[in-house]
Amino acid sequence: MKKAISLGVAAAMTATLLAGCGTAASSAPAASSEAASSTEATSEAASSEATATEAHEINTTDPIELTISWWGGDSRHEAYQKAIEAFQEKYPNITVSPTYGAWSGWEEKQSTALAADQGSDVMQVNWNWLYQYSPTGEKFVDLRDYSDIIDLTQWTDAAKNACTVADSLQAVPISMTGRIFYWNMNTFKQAGIEKVPTTYDDLIAAGKAFQEKLGDDYYPLAIGQYDRMILMTFYLESKYGKAWVENNECQYTEEEVVDGLNFIDSLEDNHVIPTRPTMIAAGFDSIDKSQEWIDGKYAGIFEWDSAPSKYQSALADNSGFTVGEEIKFGDKANGGFSKVSMGMAITKSCQHPVEAAALIDFLWNGEGAAIMGSECGIPASTAGLASAQAADAVKPLVLEANTKVLAFVDMPLDPYYESSKLKDTTDGIYTDVFDGLSYDEYDPQEAAEILLDGVSGVLSANA
Amino acid sequence: MSSAPKATQRTPFKRWCDENTGLFFLIPWILGFLIFKAYPFASSLVYSFTDLNFFKGISQYGIMNYVEIFTSRKTVSVLLTTVKYAFITVPLKLVFALFIAYILNFKIKFVNLFRTVYYIPSILGGSVAIAVLWRALFKDTGVVNTILGFFGIAGPDWLADKTWALFVICLLRVWQFGSAMVLFLAALKGVPADLYEAATIDGATKTRQFFSITVPMITPVIFYNLVTQIAQAFQEFNGPYIITQGGPRNATTLVSLLVYNYAFKSNEMGMACALAWVMFIAVALLTVIAFTSQKHWVYYAD
Repeated sequence: MKKAISLGVAAAMTATLLAGCGTAASSAPAASSEAASSTEATSEAASSEATATEAHEINTTDPIELTISWWGGDSRHEAYQKAIEAFQEKYPNITVSPTYGAWSGWEEKQSTALAADQGSDVMQVNWNWLYQYSPTGEKFVDLRDYSDIIDLTQWTDAAKNACTVADSLQAVPISMTGRIFYWNMNTFKQAGIEKVPTTYDDLIAAGKAFQEKLGDDYYPLAIGQYDRMILMTFYLESKYGKAWVENNECQYTEEEVVDGLNFIDSLEDNHVIPTRPTMIAAGFDSIDKSQEWIDGKYAGIFEWDSAPSKYQSALADNSGFTVGEEIKFGDKANGGFSKVSMGMAITKSCQHPVEAAALIDFLWNGEGAAIMGSECGIPASTAGLASAQAADAVKPLVLEANTKVLAFVDMPLDPYYESSKLKDTTDGIYTDVFDGLSYDEYDPQEAAEILLDGVSGVLSANA
Repeated sequence: MSSAPKATQRTPFKRWCDENTGLFFLIPWILGFLIFKAYPFASSLVYSFTDLNFFKGISQYGIMNYVEIFTSRKTVSVLLTTVKYAFITVPLKLVFALFIAYILNFKIKFVNLFRTVYYIPSILGGSVAIAVLWRALFKDTGVVNTILGFFGIAGPDWLADKTWALFVICLLRVWQFGSAMVLFLAALKGVPADLYEAATIDGATKTRQFFSITVPMITPVIFYNLVTQIAQAFQEFNGPYIITQGGPRNATTLVSLLVYNYAFKSNEMGMACALAWVMFIAVALLTVIAFTSQKHWVYYAD
């Protein structure tokens, strides 16, 4: 069974990378002006790995100090530290100093460091950082220059294209990810529901059952501001059969966005999801840390396929934690997107790029991949995935979710979808729109107008 | 006799050095001030007239940031929230600090322990632990609502209601009254005892003594606390950042938090600098008003 899933994920990853990321890269502003030709050029450039301008040799004698930074949870920190130890054993002359922390506040620190050219030598980057902080390739080295150190053939061209900005392969993708539902079936069973929801009607029915049988405090699904935006995007793309943004333009009219916002409203109205005031009043940082989730009062999430572990381990009784099915909300397309969950880049301020490249290769193609396992999602590198699987370091739950996501989603994602100006959970446009809607400060018409203005503002600023 | 020829042998530079030895001791401070205070201060003023972005540089010069600050609904609302925050917290904190200091000025058992305990919140500042504590107190099913429930009162959604959320943030600041309290305590101890003795002989009540002797005698410290607390209130960052992140619906977003958002989330350094300067000018104006008014209400015995 495990093998079958593994083969499935490999096939699905390849197919979805080609369907999703290839288009995403082509819809990126860097490639938008000379659309087709530049995409081809990028593709060609990315696929010709043997273009290292000079031969490099890893220094194995002189003392070298490297720095590396990443964000994540405790289990990811442990995996990285073990992998770094293994790297230092292999190259005793190289010392790797890590900086790591939780996601909260991480981007601010890293972007400031990047602005001052003080970033770590090797940096775990969010996909949109390449577009937002290095649009002309000024912050990260072109990894193709070190293709004799990093085996770039382990990534598909489509995956590399997604990280190719300003004709420079600024990072290698660590993994591909997308959103999927996870359910706490123990609570569902208490509400008399035995099967995971697979349609919109199932969600509505679950909302009613939860309210009637378990009480007002119980909800089948809990989603934050950004989750609402993603779920609405899934809904719209499925119903209208077009990507949210393409060719640097939002493809949706105000009326269509109003429809999407009404969809989110309908989930609140039918007790499928708690309102934002309800969630804010509960006073938690993130859903996995909320008492409501721990106790099973919130019985579902819509999360990245690489992130279920923390939700599962937080549950008081996690025996019912289940990967759900993607829900197709319309009939024009499946809808939804996958994206490069994160990448590994070398900053231009790095004094030892060859050794930094060796570290990346070790972590994601070599022995390190067996240690990292699925801590950063299912490895996008073929060799990395094989190593992780051989070491039995891939969590079945993550693999199952990833397989389902990649087999389902069929729309590209614009890199500016995650621009901090839109996505920020305190000051972003998505927060303003969905909180304003939930607080009844905006009607769907006003909210749609604000959302479209905000999105086009970000797109035009980066055009 | 022997020193006169030596003095004539000194070069002008050496003489200058001898006469200004103190300056050399000041050099570390002067350098620190110039590099870490004066230069950022001046450059932020320049940047406030640009659209400086960390990653895109400068493409426009002018007063557009200031126009935006005073015309955008969001920034005007944040400025008003900050003023509201300052006008709620400063008087409350001063009154509370004075009240506690007055009590701790009596000769009671374990007074030193009480002084220490009351000072602790000021040391804690804005930390993650405080955020956890405050949320545990004020979440919908938190301690405060549970206690209110015992009395049959349905408490509000403190963190989700726009008015109450600001109150929660104000309460954190008021709770950290320790430093003001210590200053008041020192001032209270400095009030001459003979004034109270005379008043007692004249038949003045304790309340009358407090308002007619204590308060006038400690007005210099009240004035000092007022000025410093106003400046601190306008710079408040930790409370909203750690507890509400400026929410709900920006109800607790104060100017310093907005400066942070512009500078480090949107990378709009020009706008952040302009906002910081607006805040600086507001605090400076209030300080000038306070200093101008002191001749009418502050009593200096000497």
